[in-house]
Amino acid sequence: MTAFMAGIDVGGTNTDAVLLRGAEVEALVKVPTDPKDLLGSTALALEKVLEHYKEDQPLKLHLSTTLSTNLIVEGRGAPTQVVAVPGPGVNLKSLNFSFPIIELDGYIDHRGREAAPLNLDQVRGLKQVLGGTEGEALAIVGKFSQRNPGHEQRLRDEISQWYNGIITLGHRLSGRANFPRRIVTAYLNSRIARHQLDFLRVWREVQGSAVGEILILKADGGTMTLDACAERPIESILSGPAASIMGVKALTQCTEANYLIVDIGGTTTDLAAVVGGEVLFERDGATISGYRTLVPAILARSFGLGGDSRIRYEKSSGVIIGPERAGTPVCLGGEHLTPTDAAAALGLAQVGSAEAARQGWQAWGESLGIDGDALAKEVFQAFLRQLREAVEAFYAELENMPLYTIREVLDPPDLRPRAVVGLGAPAPVFVPALAESMNLSWEVVPYWAGANAIGAAAARATAGITLQADTQLGKVTVPEMGWRGEIQRPLFFDLGKARELAEEKTREHAGSLGYDASGEVYIVEEESFQMVRGFRTVGQTHLVRTQLRPEVFKVRGEAK
Amino acid sequence: MTEVGLVFFPAFDWAISPDHPERQERLLYTRDQIQEEGLFDHPAIREYRPRLASDEEILRTHVVLPSLETVTESHRIAAGGTIAAADLVLDGLAKRSFALLRPPGHHANRFVHGSRGFCTLNNEAIMVDHLRSRLGPDVKIAIVDTDAHHGDGTQDIFYNDPGVLHISLHQDGRTLYPGTGFITERGGPGAYGQTVNIPLPPGTGDEGMLLAMERVVLPILRDWQPDWIINAAGQDNHFSDPITNMGFSAQGYARLTEMLRPDIVVLEGGYSIESALPYINVGLLLALAGLDYSKVQEPHGRREPQPRAITDQVARICGEVAELWERRSEEDLGKVFGEAEFFERRRQIYYDTDNIYESQQEYIRLCRACPGWRAVYTQSTRVRQVAAAVLLPWKPCPSCRQEAEGQYRQLAAEGRFQQVVWQDPARGRESLKE
Repeated sequence: MTAFMAGIDVGGTNTDAVLLRGAEVEALVKVPTDPKDLLGSTALALEKVLEHYKEDQPLKLHLSTTLSTNLIVEGRGAPTQVVAVPGPGVNLKSLNFSFPIIELDGYIDHRGREAAPLNLDQVRGLKQVLGGTEGEALAIVGKFSQRNPGHEQRLRDEISQWYNGIITLGHRLSGRANFPRRIVTAYLNSRIARHQLDFLRVWREVQGSAVGEILILKADGGTMTLDACAERPIESILSGPAASIMGVKALTQCTEANYLIVDIGGTTTDLAAVVGGEVLFERDGATISGYRTLVPAILARSFGLGGDSRIRYEKSSGVIIGPERAGTPVCLGGEHLTPTDAAAALGLAQVGSAEAARQGWQAWGESLGIDGDALAKEVFQAFLRQLREAVEAFYAELENMPLYTIREVLDPPDLRPRAVVGLGAPAPVFVPALAESMNLSWEVVPYWAGANAIGAAAARATAGITLQADTQLGKVTVPEMGWRGEIQRPLFFDLGKARELAEEKTREHAGSLGYDASGEVYIVEEESFQMVRGFRTVGQTHLVRTQLRPEVFKVRGEAK
Repeated sequence: MTEVGLVFFPAFDWAISPDHPERQERLLYTRDQIQEEGLFDHPAIREYRPRLASDEEILRTHVVLPSLETVTESHRIAAGGTIAAADLVLDGLAKRSFALLRPPGHHANRFVHGSRGFCTLNNEAIMVDHLRSRLGPDVKIAIVDTDAHHGDGTQDIFYNDPGVLHISLHQDGRTLYPGTGFITERGGPGAYGQTVNIPLPPGTGDEGMLLAMERVVLPILRDWQPDWIINAAGQDNHFSDPITNMGFSAQGYARLTEMLRPDIVVLEGGYSIESALPYINVGLLLALAGLDYSKVQEPHGRREPQPRAITDQVARICGEVAELWERRSEEDLGKVFGEAEFFERRRQIYYDTDNIYESQQEYIRLCRACPGWRAVYTQSTRVRQVAAAVLLPWKPCPSCRQEAEGQYRQLAAEGRFQQVVWQDPARGRESLKE
């Protein structure tokens, strides 16, 4: 029996929904998003998709929402406090966090050794300064807790005896080193958790009727269960761009190892890069509304250039597009001329009334003393130029990523694209011209205007871990699982053994999250060093970062 | 413009040998600490890539024997990364920069037969000459070397160069490699007094280092008025360093950086890779960026307070150095270097890392109009046939240039040398063919 799937991507302007029957698109719907009633918009889109669904079997649903993103951007959520164990180092007060931090004594060093113990009197004293009602939230974060989560766990055990609010532990969110980001990530996770739980409760009620299992899309383009989302709601931020990129992966015919993904929307354009067949990820994690986090995320850069962007004309510099939105294009009955109107007037796209667009350019052109057609052409060229500049800046940023080995400096990784793959409503107008100006081949994916919903439906569960082993200390840690164990035979624990254990732990972790853990586990990153003290090798340190590789789910359609 | 441009290059795939202090692991814990403190991510600090130094950039400063092929890529990247750090400041991308990279360079002399004191190419000397190639020969550059070992290589390269002031603070040469750096080493006839050595007794701690900064280094800098200050920031003065006997702490290093306000910092030695380097480098970065370093502290081990006797000893040395600096223009150079046409210097140089002996004979033309051209003859247990070099200063007078050209042609015609090198930093190696 062919499996049915639904995918919904709640965007800022529209909510897109798709019904897949195996690799075939059965229905694709679009409803306007009501920012005040995200749930209503989502339900409406789901309802419309379900009209096409005649089977008895409950339907699996993948959901990409802006709820967590909106909560953060709008500064909403529960009153949240942070308890940190910073030890010596950068003065936390000098980092100007937008929220207060209570600092406790204690220190875990870079090897995960306890250099200074917690002060239990101080911990008991927290009862006087922390609230602890159900509506409040707390983040507990220690420096180097990814190397040894002991202090964070001990603090949770003590505090949770009397604290009833939500508690997030820093080490559970990421195995990466970055204490300020860990603080921010745990803080945000705690802050939005309660609202996310309310939202998930609604979906749990929906679940089991016409809709079967519901999975939530993450910023890394993977999915997670409602339970996982309840514990780590922060991972659902920025799932919209991730949905679009997963849509490209599902729909593209591009066989190049390196290509550029250009998602042109009404207000903004997003860029992402595929290198060696894999989408590039943020080095540390997502940045949202000025908060730098450790949330694993696809590296995407957004800038204010889209089909509905505002256009200015200056005598000295000519046409300048964006970054703000002008509104509905003239050809669709709006008041301001936009790049979409340029495409309509020049016959590059069939959108609304080409005549209305032409008259608009004629009128503006006259006031400037330029031919209307020439002005529209100039706008088209300016759009391309700005897009091209953004692409160059994007790759310049990628190519400035630091290199730490001689091998890499001598032979730097080749990131440059061989093709451009586009999506978004204006993509057919601008992507071919962009690619040609860069001497690259191009493709506009099928269903380019609704590929984000398809991406949500085609996404698969992802889970990854960070395994850090120190054979001198005989300790191995997987922070994402809150696990720190002993190495039984340290002398024989080489990188190969570390890899084996990392794979085993990845499957265990995925399994505990309720995912199918049978896929390939691949190594995202690894390091291995001999530790020499006094001219004698005393041990090895291995770091292995793994990821369960989801099979790419391919969806059929006609490319443009 | 960012406060600090950071060129971090830990060379995670390179070692002199597997258990050598200069091995893959050296900057691992520093990387971990900087990463965990969020400093790669801090708005005041921006990370940049290193690059390879070109032949031209290396040979402007060094004479490499038997040929450049003996220089590994790791050395080219360390030198190129240091140049990249300087360019960040020169190009206005950063107010200050830090070349936090390895392998180090300050024991590498102008003539390179191999590696000594873990150094093959002198990163900061190559960078200083790069700065002058971009800014012109009149720019005044001060190098303050705070490594526990005497910066003998850098001193050798600039000892007759009036454009450079070289100040080295280090553990007394009678007690530590390379065994030089006494206050009587004051530079060649063309730059007498501009080599300043401050040998510190074993056991000197923060108090002594900072005292020397206050009493000697800062006053000399105020007096000499350099356009650029370079810090050769060795980190082996630390109380936990396994191969030295000093008592400096991470707080002391940060305070020193704050006092010195260097334009460019270049890492040198430092082999307490777990207990010192992570904390020194975090403190140094914070101080360089003008950020709060008050909470930076080594979590393991405690520094012994500096004994009173050592403080007195440091104060006495500082007094002597300050007096020599004051009197430097009154010295009778005729008495120091003689009245002949040339000043001759013969030296035996040991390359501990590669176990090579070099013997060198140098002739400096004593000239009133310029620092004078030089002829150098060198051979070693590796390069047995004598090589010759004719070296011009950055600003030779016309007659020295003419004499040097004549000497070069004559030596090249003799045909008995392994090679004859022409070094003209201002105009380049091709200047003879013009």
